[in-house]
Amino acid sequence: MPILEFRNVDKIYNKMTQALTDVSFTVDEGEFVTIIGPSGSGKSTILRCINRLVDATKGEIVFDGHNINRADKKEIRQIRKKTGMIFQHYNLVDRLSVIENVLHGRLGHKSTISGVAGHYSEREKENAFIILEKLGLTEQAYKRCDELSGGQKQRVGIARSIMQEPRLILCDEPIASLDPSSSKIIMDHLSNINQTMGITCILNLHQVDVATKYSKRIIGLTQGRIVYDGPTEDLAKETIYEIYQSSEGELITDVG
Amino acid sequence: MSELVLSGRAPVSQDVIESMRRTRGGKIKIAAQSKSSLAINLTIFILLGLTIYAFLFFDYKSINFAQAVVSTLDNAKIMFGTPKLSYNTIPGVLNALWVTFSLGVLATIYGAVIAVFGALFCAKNIANPKVALAVKSFVAFIRAVPTILWVLIFTVAAGLGSVAAVVGLTFHSAAFLIKAYSESIETMDDGTIEALRASGASYWQIVFQAVLPASISYMVAWTFLRFEINFANALAIGAAAGAGGIGYDLFMAGSFYFDLRELGFLTFIIVAAVIALEVAATKIKAKVR
Ligand SMILES: Nc1ncnc2c1ncn2[C@@H]1O[C@H](COP(=O)(O)OP(=O)(O)OP(=O)(O)O)[C@@H](O)[C@H]1O
Ligand SMILES: [Mg+2]
Repeated sequence: MPILEFRNVDKIYNKMTQALTDVSFTVDEGEFVTIIGPSGSGKSTILRCINRLVDATKGEIVFDGHNINRADKKEIRQIRKKTGMIFQHYNLVDRLSVIENVLHGRLGHKSTISGVAGHYSEREKENAFIILEKLGLTEQAYKRCDELSGGQKQRVGIARSIMQEPRLILCDEPIASLDPSSSKIIMDHLSNINQTMGITCILNLHQVDVATKYSKRIIGLTQGRIVYDGPTEDLAKETIYEIYQSSEGELITDVG
Repeated sequence: MSELVLSGRAPVSQDVIESMRRTRGGKIKIAAQSKSSLAINLTIFILLGLTIYAFLFFDYKSINFAQAVVSTLDNAKIMFGTPKLSYNTIPGVLNALWVTFSLGVLATIYGAVIAVFGALFCAKNIANPKVALAVKSFVAFIRAVPTILWVLIFTVAAGLGSVAAVVGLTFHSAAFLIKAYSESIETMDDGTIEALRASGASYWQIVFQAVLPASISYMVAWTFLRFEINFANALAIGAAAGAGGIGYDLFMAGSFYFDLRELGFLTFIIVAAVIALEVAATKIKAKVR
């Protein structure tokens, strides 16, 4: 069953920059899809259109049966509640504890007043600890987030988004600031969440080798257009060069 | 890629040569835009001219400069060398100090509470740009008028006394702190706000869960700075607006009794109080990392 559908979506920033041109694709529930493409090709824009951090200029985006473009303020909150987002720079509140940051994932589910006061139920707190344990962060629970390493911060980011009980998780370059071994831990967690919890994942990645290793489906983006959308095993070397508009030997990653 | 020759003279293209700015002597300039530096130079030049002009045309009456210096030092020696209370008692002075301190504290607290909300409507990253501009301009206007003047303006409505003093001080403090707080909020990482927005959090949830926690240490530091200013203002206002406090005693000792020793004693008390406050402020700021 499709959970997300893009129909001929265009995005033009400030009436000037054409970021997306006629983008159409469908994502089924439970899929793990990676978007690759050179810098500025519009990967972040696609993810941001999904939770309306930016508004698409033309076309339709349907999420879980709801047309996102026409959603009003209340519906947008409803949609955002169901989509978690993970960022390259983690975007945690550094001065708060790990557990507080994880509980922020519940804000969308709470009344404004109890959210403002930071009042969470015992049940929510227990759940937060269970999630932290899954991500191997139990010992960090009461540390302030500015005391954590990058890899740990990103795991807190993942915990926060799981706390939302989302249907879909959007990851904008989740491992771009991490070393190879932390990157592997993060990718393994994401893949695990996808398989055990059935949460659909859409990722933006710069590392083609990581993308091909973890996802069954790849979307290739060049200058705001989809140039490849299909199974990972059908992604030919030539297509990768086409996506990055380069020729053999010019890419730093080994695309063998 | 062509080779870049770093030693010797590289072949430089015409375009590159044209993009270089040169001084009148033909040297290549490296500083950024020069429009603002021209304005700065002009300002400094004018100020310098005014200063020289002022010194040349001061009315020195028939004061002998050397003599004036000697008697000033003499006065200072009496004031700070032999401080003594003759018109006030120690409990009286401490009570007056407490009044001044309270004026400063009240004005700072009221100002801070108003400023927290004002700053939310004023910080670029969370406010509506039009509202922000309106609030910013209004607040800039309030700040442009000195605190003492605001106090005097409020004495028209409230009469001479501590009410006018607190209201006037609060007015200027709020305006000052709105600017300081909103700039603290603006230094915050936009990504953090975006992350909570993306999870469906509402505006007030974001403010209390992310914006305030992230900028609280700056806000506390600014608040203490403002308290220091308010304490000094409360001293001056004690005399000017009849608000009482140690400022009033100081004014009486200086302008009514001409008692240098009393003046010295009061000054020492104030200095001690300021140092104590500074120590307390540093301790509290260290706690709110
Ligand atoms: N807020 C914005 N305002 C104006 N233009 C923008 C904005 N965000 C992105 N763009 C432009 O839209 C285009 C696509 O940007 P986008 O951030 O989606 O690329 P990306 O594929 O995520 O790049 P990267 O890999 O570097 O993150 C770029 O040309 C960019 O300059
Ligand atoms: Mg991006």
